[in-house]
Amino acid sequence: MIYDIDAPVLLRDTLADGLIRLVLRAPEIARAAKPGQFVHMLVPDSGHVLRRPISLMAMDAQAGTLTLAIQPKGPGTQKICALAPGAAVKCLGPLGTGFDGGDAQTVYFVGGGVGVAPVCAAMDAFATPTSHAFFGFRTKLHAYGMTQAPCAVTAVSDDGSIGQQAPVTAPLLAAIGVKRPDLIMACGPLPMLRAVQHIAREAGIPCQLSLEERMGCGIGACLGCSVRIADGHGGWHYRRVCKDGPVFDGMEVIFDG
Amino acid sequence: MADLSLNLCGVPLKNPVIAASGTFGFGREYDALYDISLLGGISVKGLSLKPREGNPPPRIAETPGGMLNAVGLQNPGVNRFIEHDLPWLLQKDVVVIANITGEREQEYCRMAEVLAPTGVHMLEMNISCPNVHAGGAAFGVRPESVYAITKAVKAHARQPLIVKLTPNVADITENALAAQEAGADAISLINTLTGIAVDVHRREMILRNNTGGLSGPAVRPVALRMVWQCAKKVRIPIIGLGGIETGEDAAAFMLCGAQAVQVGTANFTDPFACPRIVRELDAYCQAQGVRRAQEIVGTLKSH
Repeated sequence: MIYDIDAPVLLRDTLADGLIRLVLRAPEIARAAKPGQFVHMLVPDSGHVLRRPISLMAMDAQAGTLTLAIQPKGPGTQKICALAPGAAVKCLGPLGTGFDGGDAQTVYFVGGGVGVAPVCAAMDAFATPTSHAFFGFRTKLHAYGMTQAPCAVTAVSDDGSIGQQAPVTAPLLAAIGVKRPDLIMACGPLPMLRAVQHIAREAGIPCQLSLEERMGCGIGACLGCSVRIADGHGGWHYRRVCKDGPVFDGMEVIFDG
Repeated sequence: MADLSLNLCGVPLKNPVIAASGTFGFGREYDALYDISLLGGISVKGLSLKPREGNPPPRIAETPGGMLNAVGLQNPGVNRFIEHDLPWLLQKDVVVIANITGEREQEYCRMAEVLAPTGVHMLEMNISCPNVHAGGAAFGVRPESVYAITKAVKAHARQPLIVKLTPNVADITENALAAQEAGADAISLINTLTGIAVDVHRREMILRNNTGGLSGPAVRPVALRMVWQCAKKVRIPIIGLGGIETGEDAAAFMLCGAQAVQVGTANFTDPFACPRIVRELDAYCQAQGVRRAQEIVGTLKSH
């Protein structure tokens, strides 16, 4: 079931440098949502014809709330991030196909930048004592999502101000050398996803990658957000990030060269 | 409640609001949100004779008051539509318009033949999609070629034939007249206006296809003007579209001479736009003291 709800803002704060956290009251969506899914947010009082797809960082079915981490990057997301508590924002959701933990006993989570947010939702659902998360940030000021994590977290940064000065794939590779996970779940910038896919493929570890693309309808009708996915017969076809994704089987994602 | 019904080329519609091709898929996704039988009609995602993968991403870009798209007619092909999607659509109490596109005249004709024995209620011929390198735009630009392709397809069509006109021409009324003379049963206008979007930071085009089709409220004044001009020239029914977001927007197109309207981009802003526009058009008619919505068609006072 998909709902289009006028969701009141309960809390707005700065999660990290350049990242705003909104907590919204949207009980129907919170109850139905799965990790890796997103809401399609209407830019308030504007001439913006396209909604903005925002991944869920957390959902609390009991409290009826959604937590979102949003980068105020363009005029649309800036207006959404400027919403004060008490204001409401139209949210369509929950949308898309999320992460699936299956029967994995050990999951390695990989997040980069704003992509850490949906990974947090996945950790809440699928982390086990042997699971481990690897987060990459630009600097310490950009770091978030590590307190109250349900499993061990290793953070790295571009400047070494938090953790190693290394790509997030460095501690991931080291950890795989010690203990192979049953599954990798990842969301982050394209070069990171590409590197995670390469590592998973080399090691023969199943992985799930959450992708991003410019989106129209958000429900699978307009085919605006198609990405190339292998068809299993040596070819490929376009699949919709909004409906078939945003989370895809990492082995099937074809990154354009 | 006003009477919103109409007869479009012999096909009864319960109201003049039609979901525009390319924004509504084959209706399934929106039917998960509301009963699509509330609408007058659905113009399905553009169909080609063979399946098409479409253009590489990015395919869409937001622009002031609108958006550009360069989806490139990704679709499963007309045969798959007939087998897989049409039976489901025909269970719904809604007029089904098969939007067809091609790169050669014979492809259009073949599709009209393939669709002839099906339950599809109307055909809409897209001769104006600007996204296909190999053809597409060519058919829709010059009046002689609009005439030729309309004449050819009409000879194979069993259902009423709507010709969808491109605004990317010097005088759209010449193409409207050409379609009418060639036997078109109706015209729909406007398709998207060709545009580009520039990422100044990366100094590159946003769309992978470079050019895309502009839609949304930004194009509405142009669309209204073109519908108004065509309505003064042609006798066949006009379906107006271009940036309709509200019932009053729909009424504006009807005042300009459109019997019916299509709603496209507004579905993205508000996934419930189509049924809302039906309700708002009803409210408009009641406020105006209009019993039958069709009474307002072409009644715009101009100076």
